[in-house]
Amino acid sequence: MKRRKFIKNTVLTAASSIATPYILPAGRLFAPTGTRIANHVVFVLFAGGIRNQESVDQQYIANQGMNTEGNLMNNMLEGAAPTSNILYDQWAPIVDQPLSKQGTLYKEVLYKNGPTGHYNGHTVSMTGAYTETGLNLNINPASPTIFEYYRKHSDPAQSAINAWWLSEGLGPYPSLNYSRHPAYGPAYGANYLRPLSIFNEAGFSQLGNAVNYQTDDVQRILKVKKILDNNFLQSANDLPGIKNSDENREMIKSFILQKMADAANGTMEVASPNNDYGLLTSDLVNISVAWHVLDNFAPELTVINTTNLDVCHDNFSLYLNFLHKADYGIGWLWNKIQSHPVLANDTIMICIPEHGRNLETNNLTDGNGFGAYDHTGDANSRKVFSLIVGPPDKVKQDQQFTTMNPQPECIDIAPTIAHILGFHDLIPGGMLNGRVLEEAFL
Amino acid sequence: MQSIKLILLLSICCLLTACKKETKIITQPVVDNYVYNINPEDIYQSNVEKTKEKTSEQYISILYTDLFQTTIPQTSLQNLAEVRQAIGDKQMVDELIINNFINGQSIDIPTNAEMRTDIENFIKTTYIRFFLREPNAYEIFELKKAIEEDDGLTPELIYQSFTLSNEYKFY
Repeated sequence: MKRRKFIKNTVLTAASSIATPYILPAGRLFAPTGTRIANHVVFVLFAGGIRNQESVDQQYIANQGMNTEGNLMNNMLEGAAPTSNILYDQWAPIVDQPLSKQGTLYKEVLYKNGPTGHYNGHTVSMTGAYTETGLNLNINPASPTIFEYYRKHSDPAQSAINAWWLSEGLGPYPSLNYSRHPAYGPAYGANYLRPLSIFNEAGFSQLGNAVNYQTDDVQRILKVKKILDNNFLQSANDLPGIKNSDENREMIKSFILQKMADAANGTMEVASPNNDYGLLTSDLVNISVAWHVLDNFAPELTVINTTNLDVCHDNFSLYLNFLHKADYGIGWLWNKIQSHPVLANDTIMICIPEHGRNLETNNLTDGNGFGAYDHTGDANSRKVFSLIVGPPDKVKQDQQFTTMNPQPECIDIAPTIAHILGFHDLIPGGMLNGRVLEEAFL
Repeated sequence: MQSIKLILLLSICCLLTACKKETKIITQPVVDNYVYNINPEDIYQSNVEKTKEKTSEQYISILYTDLFQTTIPQTSLQNLAEVRQAIGDKQMVDELIINNFINGQSIDIPTNAEMRTDIENFIKTTYIRFFLREPNAYEIFELKKAIEEDDGLTPELIYQSFTLSNEYKFY
């Protein structure tokens, strides 16, 4: 009798679940596969705090009492470089035509709310939500990151090897590969890498002797581990953070060891003129390794940053130098993407500073007597630009917006990425409050 | 005046006799002590005694000590902390660190031929080195069988299996 009742209940439950379609938060009955604009997104947080004056406004040192303007970012922007008072190492542009000609440039994007701190700025762009957190704590953000939205709402679900976050610095940045949100978290996080710690003394001293094991040896290690684990009752708690599958973990380990070997013997391609390692900034190291991640794994969502430009707190001249070099790195990266059999013509790159810098200088001056700029939340430090670059059949070419209504905001980047990768409509309502920058796409 | 003195005296007596701190003398070995080599001669009687999971810091520093038979230098510890922070998948970075340690030059590790000359002795010394206990007969049988059946199973690979095992993560 009980068995019969159980079967009856089971059948009824099954029937009702078939009869009642699952209603998605977006109001659809069934999850669509999602119409994608492109299959790959590279999101560059062109960060460190960049003023529009020296970037898109191309004012060079005009705000320092010198009557010289010009374009420092001749890979990303159209415009003539300064011809006098040259304070930086001028590198020839690496792209055939400026990236702004290959996409849509928003010259004024608003960082509307919250403190203009580096971690906050990164968090805002990567989560699509403003945050009031003012401290650079090593704590994962409260709102889900774009990685988590991507991995949870993409259909079919994506593994961590398809989502990468590479940062120039450590500090709080490793915490941005997943959030504390109870519905998301590390199960949907991205692989994180800080290349500068791997491809330097720390990495070479602590990983330099590691051997790239063949599959047979990996299986041997796992076989003996299994024997040992079978004789021990307890199981170690999962380590915090994201986990790759065994297969993907081995692939990433091999990749890291191979690239370390390449770097050690001077055969790793890097983002500097003539592949000169001596010209690399730490921003360019990050961009270089990001390219190798893209080249090896062709991930669908990659986020990288630059932060050297924060030197502007006390050295404006060096800030100009770093701005010029970071721009070179972005041009180099875009060229590399176009040379890749999978990524070429199927990748959209979005660049945005995490926030700007103040209008007025602080009390510090550099060796050239130029004033330095902080970022304390004035209107100027809340004004940035954004550049969306992509193939001509996906992204509107040579399009430029100075003022718009509504004005684009930093929180618009996350929904725009979700739109490109086709899962924006599957994200529960109220999670992302920015708008999709649809005018950038065909 | 006399009554005030009396009250003061009584109060002092009360204070002296009211509370007595109890001192407990522990005569048994404490597991934490022999894990940290304070009493290196003590070993576990059984793996059931291991109930506490090592923290990441404990794991790395004990691993270093077990492999190199010396405490970890401060510079190495700092570098390891940096490398661990620089890779998001902690299982992966731990595997790379162990791989690096074991394939380094200065670790005392038997050759494959030495291991195969006396497999049981190798198993016993490896259990004591990493698990701080003797293996039981079944454990010896299983691991010995695995070694005998596979010439490619080297001491380097076995050491990595031990340091990645669940038991090694407990004390």
